[in-house]
Amino acid sequence: MLHFPILTVIIFVPILGSFLPLALHRHPAGARWSSLAVTLVEIILVGSLFFLGLKPQAGPQGAWLLLEEYSWIAGFGAKYSLGLDGISLVMVLLTAFINIFCVLISWDAIEEKVGSFFFFILFLEGALIGLFLANDLLLFYLFWEIQLIPMFFLVGVWGHKNRIHAAIKFILYTLTGSLLMLIALIAIHILHGQQTGVYTFNLYQLMHTRYSFTTEVLLFLAFLLAFGIKIPLIPVHTWLPDTHTEAPTAGSVDLAGLLLKTGIYGLLRFGIPLFPNAAKFFGPLLLALGLGGLFYAAWVALTQTDIKRLVAYSSISHMGLMVVGIAIWNPISLSGSLLQMVNHGLSTSALFIMVGMLDERLHSRDFAALGGLWGKMPVFSAFFLLFALSSLGLPGLNNFVGEVLILIGAFQSQPVIAILGFCGIVFGVIYILRMVQDSLFGERRGEHELWDINGREALILVSLALAVLFIGLHPTPLLNLLEHPVQTMLHQTQQVALLGM
Amino acid sequence: MPTDWLALSPLLFLAAGGSVVFGAGAFWRSRPREVLFALSLVTVAAAGAAVVLVEPRASSFAGVLDLGNYVRFFNFLFLAIAGLTLLFVRHYARERGFAGDEFYGLLLFAALGLALLAGAGHWLIFFLGLELLSLALYVLIAIRKGEAGSNEAGVKYFIMGAVASAFLTFGIALLYAATGSLDIGGSLGARLQPAELPLFLAALSLILVGLGFKISLVPFHLWTPDVYQGAPAPVTAFLSAGSKVALFAALLRFSLALGEAAWNYALPAIWGLAVLTMVVGNITALRQTQVKRLLAYSSVAQMGYLLMALVAVKEGGAPALMFYLAVYAVMDLGAFGILGTLSGEAADLDALEDYQGLGYARPWRAAVLGVCLISLAGLPPTAGFMGKLVLFKVVLQAHYRVLPVIGILTVIISMFFYLKVVVSLYMRPRGEGPAVSKGEASGALAGAVILILLLWLGLLPGQVLTLVGRIAG
Repeated sequence: MLHFPILTVIIFVPILGSFLPLALHRHPAGARWSSLAVTLVEIILVGSLFFLGLKPQAGPQGAWLLLEEYSWIAGFGAKYSLGLDGISLVMVLLTAFINIFCVLISWDAIEEKVGSFFFFILFLEGALIGLFLANDLLLFYLFWEIQLIPMFFLVGVWGHKNRIHAAIKFILYTLTGSLLMLIALIAIHILHGQQTGVYTFNLYQLMHTRYSFTTEVLLFLAFLLAFGIKIPLIPVHTWLPDTHTEAPTAGSVDLAGLLLKTGIYGLLRFGIPLFPNAAKFFGPLLLALGLGGLFYAAWVALTQTDIKRLVAYSSISHMGLMVVGIAIWNPISLSGSLLQMVNHGLSTSALFIMVGMLDERLHSRDFAALGGLWGKMPVFSAFFLLFALSSLGLPGLNNFVGEVLILIGAFQSQPVIAILGFCGIVFGVIYILRMVQDSLFGERRGEHELWDINGREALILVSLALAVLFIGLHPTPLLNLLEHPVQTMLHQTQQVALLGM
Repeated sequence: MPTDWLALSPLLFLAAGGSVVFGAGAFWRSRPREVLFALSLVTVAAAGAAVVLVEPRASSFAGVLDLGNYVRFFNFLFLAIAGLTLLFVRHYARERGFAGDEFYGLLLFAALGLALLAGAGHWLIFFLGLELLSLALYVLIAIRKGEAGSNEAGVKYFIMGAVASAFLTFGIALLYAATGSLDIGGSLGARLQPAELPLFLAALSLILVGLGFKISLVPFHLWTPDVYQGAPAPVTAFLSAGSKVALFAALLRFSLALGEAAWNYALPAIWGLAVLTMVVGNITALRQTQVKRLLAYSSVAQMGYLLMALVAVKEGGAPALMFYLAVYAVMDLGAFGILGTLSGEAADLDALEDYQGLGYARPWRAAVLGVCLISLAGLPPTAGFMGKLVLFKVVLQAHYRVLPVIGILTVIISMFFYLKVVVSLYMRPRGEGPAVSKGEASGALAGAVILILLLWLGLLPGQVLTLVGRIAG
C-alpha cells in the first residue's frame, strides 16, 4: 500500500495550479504557459499510476487499485474517501488528456481575461478528477456541483452572443436534477443510519441499505433525473445544444468530452449499484430513452444549419447508445459503453476542436459559409474526415470497437434492441456524411481568407488522431483495465439486488 | 449564593462601552471618531473574549438570564456580527458624516439587546432586550438625517416594530393569564388543563405573529424590502444578520421549551408559514431589479428554510439550526457589507445594472460578494451548501417528506436570482453606472474574514458541527 497520497495530489494539482494563471492575469503569455505546465504535470502524474504496478486489492469496501481515506466531517460520517479502479483510472486519464487540448485550443482564441479563463479550465479539471475518484457520496456530490460553477463562467463570460441565456439554462437544468438527488442522497444516509445505526456516506456501506420498493423507485428516479439531465437523455436534453452553441471551444470540449460522461459514470457507479431492483424495473425505460435519443438526436442533427449544433446533436445521439449499453447491464455491453465514453470523448472533442478552428477562420459556423474546404486547407480537411469517420464508426477507428461491443452485448440478451441500435448507428452515418459533404467538398461558398493548420493545431490533431487509431487498432489494454471493475460491479450489484428482494 | 457578576461580564462590557462612547461624545468637544471607533471595537473584542474565557458557574443568572453554552454560542456570534459591522461601517460612516458617538454607542447597545434576547429566561428580560434592540435600530436605520429614504425606512421600521411589540406584549400578557408565570421555560412548558388550552394557544399565536414580523415571515414580511433598501447598507447588514438571528434563536428556545400538547398545535402553523415564506420569498425575489430588495427577499426566503427545519427541533434539529443561523449571519452580513463598501457617497449601489462588470473593475470585493451569493444560493464549496445539507437532513430525519421537497424546489427557483447578480458582476460589460468606491483597509479585512469563514465552513465544517452538536445535546 502506498503511503504517498497520490490521488489527492492528482486532484489538487489542477485545483491549486488554477490559481497560477489567475495570479498571472496581467501577463497573458505567462497565464497560458503556466496552465499548459499544470496540465502537463497532471498528465505525468496520472501516467505514473500505470507504472506503480497496481493490482486490484479486495478490501472491506470492494476491490480497488488504490484507496485513500481520511476523516472529513465526523458529525455525519462523511469521509474524504477516494478510490481508484480501472473505470476511474480510464476516466481520469481521459480528463487529464483532454484538458491539455482545452488549454492548447484556447491559446489564441481567448484574448480577454486570459488568466480567469485558464483558472476556470484548470479548476474544472480538478473538480472532474475529484468526481471520478470520489468514493463517498457526499464528496462525490460536492465535486458534482462544484464543476457547474466553472462551466457556468466559461459559457457565460467567454461564450458567443446568447451566452448568458445559455449559461443560466445550463446551470438551472443541471441543478434541478442534482438538488433532488441531494434530497435522495440524504434520505439514503438516514435510512441506512436508522437500519444499522451507522451514519455514513460510504458507497459500499450504503449499498446494503434495504428499501421498500416504492422508496427505492423514488430514490432511483431522483438519481436518474440528475444523471439523465447530464447525459443528457431525451426529453431533458434541450439545454445541451444551446450550451454548446454558445460555449467557447474549450468549454464545448470539456462539456462533450467530460461533463456528459459524469452522467453515465454517476449512473454506473452510484445510481444502479445503490438501487439495483429499481434500476431493473426501469431498465426498459432506460433502453427506450437511450434508443429514443439515438434516433431522435440523429434525426434532428440532419436538419441543423450550424455545424456546431450538428456535432452537439450527434453527441446526444452517441450518448443514447451508451445508455443502451448500460441498461443491458452485461459485461460486454458495459465494457462497450465504458470504452465508448473514452471514444466519444476523443472523437467529439476533436470535432468540436476542429469546428472551433473553422470558427476562428470563418467567424461563422453556418453551412452556408462552408464548403470546398478541401481545396484550401487539405491537412485540416483530412483530419476532419478522419474524426468524422471515427464518429460514424468506421472499422479500424475507435468508435467501431465500442459500438460493436455494445451491440454484441445487447444481442446476447435482447436481439431486438441490438438490431434497433444497429439501425440507429446507420442512421448516424447519414448526417455525418452530409456534414462532411457540405463542409469539405463541393463549391467554395465563403469569401474569407483561409489558412491551413499551424504547428500548435497540428500537435493537437495529431495527438488526438493517434489516440483514435490506437484504440481502434489495439483496444485490448483499455479493455483489460475495465474488465475487472466491470466484473466486480456486476457481482456486487447482483448481490445487493438479491439482498433487496 | 454570591452573585456571579463575572458571568455577566460580556453584557457589562457592552453596556459600559456603550455608555463610555456616549459620554465621550457628550463631553469631548472634538468628538474624535477614530478614538470612538477604536473604543467600540475594543469593547466588542473584550466582550467576545469574556464570552469565550469566562465559564459561568451557574446555568442561569438569578433565574432571569440563561448563561449556558447555548447562549454563549449566540453571544459570540452576535459579537462577531457587531465587530464585522464595525469594520464594514468605519469608512462608510466617515464618508457620509455619521461616524460618531451616536452611531457607535447605539450599535453597542443594539448588540447588548441581541444578547439579552437570546439569553432571556424571563419574559420581561426578553421584552427589555427587544425594545433595546429596536430603539437602537430605529435610530441607526435613519442615521442619515438628510436622506429621505433613510428616514422613511426608520419610520416604517418603527411603526412595524410598534405593531410587533403590541402583538408580543399582548401575547405575553395572555400567557401570564393562562399559566400565571412570566418565566419563559415555566410558562411555555406549563401543564395545562384542556380548558386553559384556547387561551394558551391564543397567546402563542400572538407571540408567533410578533416574532414573525421581526424575522419577516410571510405574510408579515412586507416591511422588509423597503426598510432594507432605505437603511444604509452596513446597518442593513447588522439588521439582517443580527436581529433576525437573535429573534430566531429566541424562537428556537421557545419551541424547545414548549410542552408536547401545545407543540402539536404549533407544528401545522410552522409548517404552513415555512412553505409560505420559502415560496413567496423566493418567487418575489425573482422579479427584483434592485440588489438590496433582492437580498431583502432572499433573507425572507432564508428565514423560510430555517423555519422549515424548526419543525424538527424536538427531534434533534437544534444543532442544524444553530449552524445555519451562524452561516446565514456570515453570508448575509457579507453580502450587505460588501454592497456598502462598493457604494458611492451619494447613494448605495442598488440597481442591478450598476453592478455590471464590477467583477473586473473591483475584483476582490466582487469575488467576496460572489461567494456570499453562491453561498446564499447553497452551492458548494461554500458554507451555504453545508448549511442547507444539515437543514434538509434534520427535516428528513424527522420523517417529513413533502416539506423538504417543497423546500428544495424553492432552492432551485432561488438559483435564478442569485445567479442574476453574479451574471451582472462578471458577464455583462461595465456601463455608465455611478462611481464605485475605492477599497479601504477595514472593509477589506472584514471581507477577507467573511471569505475565509464561508470557505472554511463549506469545506471543513466538522469542528463547528461537533461544537453545536455538543452545545445542543
